[in-house]
Amino acid sequence: MRVFRASAALEMAQLRSSRGFVALTALAAVSFLVMVCLFGLTGAYAPVALIDRDGSPHSRRFAEALLGAHHSFALKSISLAEAEAALGTGRLVGIITIPAGFGDSVSRGVTVPIDVRIDNVNVDLTNDVQRALPAAIVAFGRREQYPGVRVRMAEHDVLPHDTGYIPYLVVSALALDAMVIAGILGAMATAREWERRTVKLLRLSPAPSSAVLAGKLAVAGGVAAAALAVTVLMIVVGYGVVPVAPWTTAFALAACVAIFTCLGAWLGALLKRTLAAVPLLFGLAMPLYVDSGALEPTRFDGQAIWIIAHASPIYYAVGVLEWAFHGLRVTPESVFVDLAILAGIAVLSMGLTLGSLARGGAR
Amino acid sequence: MTQNQGSAHESPRDAIDVSDVTCTFGRVRALDGLSMRVSTGTVVGIVGPNGAGKTTLIDVICGLVRPMSGTVRVLGQDVTSNAAALRARIGVLPQETALYDEVTPHQNLRFAAALYDVPNAEQRIAEVLELVGLSARAGDVVRGFSGGMQRRLAIARALLHNPPLLILDEPTVGVDVEARHQIWAHIRALRAGGRTVVLTTNYLDEAEALCDRVVILRSGKVIADDTPAALAARTGRCLELECREEGARQLAEALRSHRGVLRAEVVDFGLRVYLAAEVSPEDVVRDARQVVPVEGFRTRSPDLVEVFRALTAAGSAA
Repeated sequence: MRVFRASAALEMAQLRSSRGFVALTALAAVSFLVMVCLFGLTGAYAPVALIDRDGSPHSRRFAEALLGAHHSFALKSISLAEAEAALGTGRLVGIITIPAGFGDSVSRGVTVPIDVRIDNVNVDLTNDVQRALPAAIVAFGRREQYPGVRVRMAEHDVLPHDTGYIPYLVVSALALDAMVIAGILGAMATAREWERRTVKLLRLSPAPSSAVLAGKLAVAGGVAAAALAVTVLMIVVGYGVVPVAPWTTAFALAACVAIFTCLGAWLGALLKRTLAAVPLLFGLAMPLYVDSGALEPTRFDGQAIWIIAHASPIYYAVGVLEWAFHGLRVTPESVFVDLAILAGIAVLSMGLTLGSLARGGAR
Repeated sequence: MTQNQGSAHESPRDAIDVSDVTCTFGRVRALDGLSMRVSTGTVVGIVGPNGAGKTTLIDVICGLVRPMSGTVRVLGQDVTSNAAALRARIGVLPQETALYDEVTPHQNLRFAAALYDVPNAEQRIAEVLELVGLSARAGDVVRGFSGGMQRRLAIARALLHNPPLLILDEPTVGVDVEARHQIWAHIRALRAGGRTVVLTTNYLDEAEALCDRVVILRSGKVIADDTPAALAARTGRCLELECREEGARQLAEALRSHRGVLRAEVVDFGLRVYLAAEVSPEDVVRDARQVVPVEGFRTRSPDLVEVFRALTAAGSAA
């Protein structure tokens, strides 16, 4: 305990002398959170003009059906001239025009073409219109009880509550944050011993390396947890996403921080340079994050991606955090299996780090 | 002082006994059947060119490197089977100093005190800081220290747990002349206090100034192990002849086959001749004057640099 406390005190003093670096690392956590939210929001509010040249009750109800259909539009009611000008200058994605006589025609059973002009700079936007308009037409027809629509959806949800895309994303971002912050601080704690060549001092001393390492990593993990707590606060206050099980969430976050601190410590001991470990952690974090069930459960992304995901610690961390925050089960493995695998990675990392400290890398 | 590690154990006659140790790294044989002893309470210098095996020998003595063959006993105990216990009784100044430079000397020593379980740590830290003259800088960040101050702090750390055996790996490398002499004064004080000190150095004047014995290594082998005076005597006497440059070259050629002349070097004032102990310098001067005019001459004992060059040159020739 004596060595643990002394090691922790020294690590804290060293981190205090690197306040700028620690602050920037914590800032990276917030920036990742913002990044995934921006990703989630991208394309969700594409401005599309809806020109109603009919003005009948029918056309208004069709517009309502269009609003209710699943799409990524921000529908705007503006004049045709304004819309054409905006489309020409790239401030509008498309123009949907309900023609004059729309109401009379549908009353008489005549099929009416809805004119759509779209900026097909990105086929994703075109696809969105192609999905949304038929959905709106079917909804309109069902509401107006037109003959010919003989199929309707009967939805039965597996889960008792829906989880929005942004609330899902921000929780998975916590796993990414935990890897980046705790990983970097863990890597710094060990790599510095080689950079300062103090690893030889540790090897020469009679004290157990495990106590020294535990002290250093306790502080690194503590600082990472504090930085992560700020991010959690932003999620709760800023995004209004409240965990369904706060204590379970706290435990899951603490476990993720501890595990990624150990993983970072091993990378630091392996590379022996902070400057090498930090870019590697950033470089690894993004692909591991994307292939980890961060955007949706990975099991829905195809067999190959799902198999690869099992090599990523973030996959298991997302499984644990989505369960703790939203009560979701996003991995086929149980949350306890996820936790056990993460704990196994931590133990293996600690063992490898202690091995590196014992060898010292002097030669 | 209230330390225990050194005084609690009976002092063996030899603080270090290295016997027929061989150590290889890949295809490199860093130590090659090396044997040496260090008597308790003495200062022994290990000198040798880069790659001679000095640092490997220290690592073996500290139990950081396990030799392929041979035995190493330190403070009466076998290093291989008692490495952890022995580390508590050895103070080491690594070549690279190994200080936490973002924090203060006091914080460095606090950590070291915990590693070595030093009782009354605060009092002992104050003592060693006073000893190396850094008390006034105890609260400053180490990064701002000169090389000499950092070395002194590292020596303070090596002394913190009051070890009976100190190993200093190139203690004055990279420090200025004043700091060097301060460190020398500390080492002399340690010897006066009865401690055993082993130091490696590339500076032969340092070995000559500080050491009771000097061990010269070359290619992982001991090529000489004696007192500085005895090593100088083994090299013979040095005769310096004043003559013109052309004459010096002619004389060097002539004396090369002279009985008892070990080596002759042309220097700026004339010729420097190394003589075997049994040869009279006056006989050589008389013979030299028959070859070229000699304006003057003087004899002296060779310094350790000359001893080292003579021995390592002989090793190369072999």
